[in-house]
Amino acid sequence: MSIQRRGFLTGVSITAVSVAGCLGSRAADSPSDLGELTVGVTTSTYDSGLLDALHSAFESTYGVTIRAVAGGTGETLARGERGDVDVVMAHARSLEDEFIQSGHGVNRRDFAYGDFVIAGPPDDPAGIAAVDTASEAFSRIAATESTFLSRGDNSGTHVQERAIWDDSEASPAGEWYTEAGLGMGETLIQANQRGAYLITVRGNYIDLRDRLDLDIFVEGPVTGGDPALDNPYGVIVVNPARHDVDYEIAMLYVGFLTGTEGQTIIEEYTIDGQQVFYPNGLSKDPNFDQYTPSDES
Amino acid sequence: MIETTPVGPVTAGTLFDANFLLVDVPFEQGYIESIIRVSLLVSLTAVILSTLVGLPVALAVGFTEFPGKRLVVALINTGMGLPSVVVGLLVLFGVSNQGPLGSLDLVFTREAMIISQFVLATPVVTGVSLAAVTEIEDGVRDAAYVMGGTRLDVALVTISEARAGIVTAVLAGLGRAISEVGSVLIVGGNIVRADGTSVTRTLTTAIQLEARQGRFEIALLLGGVLIALVLVINGIVLRIGGRRY
Amino acid sequence: MAQFSSSRSSQHSQSTGILLSNVSHGFDGTAVLTDITLTVSRGETLVVIGPSGTGKTTLIRLLALFDSPDSGRILVGDTNLWSLSTDERLAARRRIGMVFQEPNLFEASVQRNVSYGHRVRLGWRARLRQWARRLVGDSSSPVVEETLEVVGLADAARRSTGSLSGGEAQRVAFARALAYDPEFLLLDEPTSDLDPRNTAVIEQAVETARDDGLGVVVATHDMQQAERIADRVAVLLDGRLIEVGPTEEVFTNPEDRRTQRFIDGELLY
Repeated sequence: MSIQRRGFLTGVSITAVSVAGCLGSRAADSPSDLGELTVGVTTSTYDSGLLDALHSAFESTYGVTIRAVAGGTGETLARGERGDVDVVMAHARSLEDEFIQSGHGVNRRDFAYGDFVIAGPPDDPAGIAAVDTASEAFSRIAATESTFLSRGDNSGTHVQERAIWDDSEASPAGEWYTEAGLGMGETLIQANQRGAYLITVRGNYIDLRDRLDLDIFVEGPVTGGDPALDNPYGVIVVNPARHDVDYEIAMLYVGFLTGTEGQTIIEEYTIDGQQVFYPNGLSKDPNFDQYTPSDES
Repeated sequence: MIETTPVGPVTAGTLFDANFLLVDVPFEQGYIESIIRVSLLVSLTAVILSTLVGLPVALAVGFTEFPGKRLVVALINTGMGLPSVVVGLLVLFGVSNQGPLGSLDLVFTREAMIISQFVLATPVVTGVSLAAVTEIEDGVRDAAYVMGGTRLDVALVTISEARAGIVTAVLAGLGRAISEVGSVLIVGGNIVRADGTSVTRTLTTAIQLEARQGRFEIALLLGGVLIALVLVINGIVLRIGGRRY
Repeated sequence: MAQFSSSRSSQHSQSTGILLSNVSHGFDGTAVLTDITLTVSRGETLVVIGPSGTGKTTLIRLLALFDSPDSGRILVGDTNLWSLSTDERLAARRRIGMVFQEPNLFEASVQRNVSYGHRVRLGWRARLRQWARRLVGDSSSPVVEETLEVVGLADAARRSTGSLSGGEAQRVAFARALAYDPEFLLLDEPTSDLDPRNTAVIEQAVETARDDGLGVVVATHDMQQAERIADRVAVLLDGRLIEVGPTEEVFTNPEDRRTQRFIDGELLY
C-alpha cells in the first residue's frame, strides 16, 4: 500500500495503544469498598512529606483511600467552607478559630506541633545573632532596614509573621520589606538569592539546608527558643451538617492522627535525619469535648 | 496497594526506570508514567471534544451571514486568550459541592479537568479552524454543491480541503491544554495516591509542585518530559498527514 | 475517442428539457437578467454568447439551481423546481453537471475528484464501507476510467491534482461533471484560460456528451467557439435575450441588428 496510507495506519495504531494505556488505569481508580476521604492540607505540610507516611499507614490499616489536596492556608479553609474536602489540616490558629466559629468545621484536635525559625544571611546585617525573641529580632530588622522577605499569602507562616510584627511594634513597611506570594520552598530560595531575612517553617529549612546559605538566628520552642515561634498543627472535620461529609470516616482519620499509630509515625518522621514534627495528640488527660474557640482568641 | 503496571507505550517505562539524564530522580516506580497518563487522558479528551464542537461552529460561523457575526468572531478570538486560572475558578464554582453541579461529585476529578481544558481549548480550535476553512475558495465549495452534494457534503469537502489548517488548529488546542497549569491545579487539586500514582496530577502541576518546593532541576526535568511528549504527538500527527507537510 | 455512454442516458431521451420562464434575477438591487425565456433540450448544445458581464454566469448558475430567481420560474415538464422540497430539488440537481471557468478541483487524486459525484450519491453505510476500503487499498472504478478517456486523460487517475497543468485540470473538471451520468451539462467559459490544444479536447468532449443525449449549455464570449460547437445560439445582451436560434441562422442572418454588431466584433465592452 502507498506510503501515505502506511503512515496513517502506523499513526493511528500508536495513538490507539497510548490512549488505551491512559484509559487502562480506570479500574485502578475506584475508591475502595470502605470509602474515600478527601483531606485538604496546606502546602508546607504537604511538601514536608509527612503525609505520605501517615496516609500510607492509614490506607493499609483501614482500607480507606485518601485524596490529599494541597493548597495555601486560605485556599484550604475555603475548600472546607465549600465542602469540597472532608477534613482540613492547617497551622494558622486564628484562621482555624474563625473557621470553627463560622460553623464550617467541628471537632478540632491538635495532632502535632513544629516551630518556625528566623533565618537570614550569614553576615547578619541586622545584628540579631544574640537576640532571643522573635519580636526583638523583627524590631532590629526594621530598625536597620535589612531586607526581609515575607510569604505574603495569608498562609499559616504569614499569619504568624504578622502576629510577631504586631508584638514588635515595628512596622513592616518600606522598601526593605517585600512579599513573595510563593510557597515556603520557593520563598527560601528567593531569600537565599537576595540575602534576605525571613521567618520559615523549620522543616522546610532543613529540607533545603544543603542549597541554602542562610543561618538560623532565632530558634523556636522545639529547641528551647521563643514560644512565639510555635507552630501548632490542627485537624478539623468539615461540618457534616453543612456538607455531605462521611463523618465516620473523617473521625476515623482524626482518631488515627491523634492515636498511637499516627502519633508514632509523626514522632519518627525525619527530614535529613532531623525530627521536625512533635506529636501532641495523645495526652494523659484527654479532653473529648468539642473545641469551641473563645471570643478573645 | 494498587496495581500500577503501565499499559502505555513501553518506551516511557524503560526510560524512567533508569536514572534519567544523570539526575537522581526521587520518584517512586511509575510516578512519571502515571502523571504522563493523566496529562494525556485529560488533554486529549478535552481536545477531541473541542474539535467535535469547534469544527461545526467554525463552519457555521464561516459560511453563514447573520447579525452579530463580527461580534461572535471577536468573542472566539478573545476566548483564545482566557487566563487559565480564571477558567479554573469558574469551573470550580460550577462543580464545587456548593455549586450548581455539586451533586455530580466532580470536584477534584479528572472529569472536571477535562471540562476546564475543554473551555480553554475550544476557542483555539474554533478560531484557527475558522481561519482555515474561510480560506477555501467559494469555487471549490460551489463545485461540491453543484455536483449534487448536500450541505453536509459541502461541509465535509470544506473540512477536507482545509485539513492542514484544521490539524494546526487541533494541535494548537492540544498545546494550549497540555501545557496549562492554572485550571487543572484548581479543579483537580494535584492529587496523588500514597503509593505515588497520580489521580489528578499532570505533568504541569507536578512541575509546579517541584518548583514550589524549590526543586528547580526536577521541575526542569519534568518540563523536558512535557516538551518531549508534545514533540512525539506532533511527530505522530505528521506521520498521519503523510507527505502533505 | 471513446464513447461515453450508459443505458440511463438513452432511457431518458424522451424526458423534457429545462425551461426558464420569464426569469429575472439581480444582486444588491441591480438587475442582472431581465425576463429570460429559454429552453434547454437534451441532445443539443446550446451556446449562450454575449459580452463579458452581461449575465451569462448568472444564467448558468440559475440553471444549476444555485439560487432561486427573483421572478419567473424554472420548470422541468410541469414542475416548478423551486416549489419542490429541498430533497426533491436535490434529486433534480443531481441530474445536472457543471464546469466552471476555474477547474475548482479538490485537493486529492484525480480519481477522488472524478468519483465525487458517485460518492455523494451513496448511502451512509456504503460510504463508510468505501472509506474503510480506501484505507487498505485503492479502489478504482471503471466509470472513472471511462470518463477520463473522454477527456484524453485515461492514465491520470492516480495523479494528484497538484501535478496537473491548467489544461489537464480543466479536463479533469469536465470528467468530474460527467462521471455521474447527468442529463444536462453546464459550462461557464470553460476554455477561456486554456491553450488551443486543451480547448479542442474540451470541445470534442462536449460533442461526445451531446451525442450521448445530454443537454449541453455553454456560456462563452468566444464567437468562433460558438460557431464550432453550438447547435443553437442564444445572444445575451445587457441581461436580455435578444436572439435565439439555430447557429447557422443567427450567424448568417441575425434578426437583431445588435447581434450582427456583436458578431462583427463590436459591443465587446
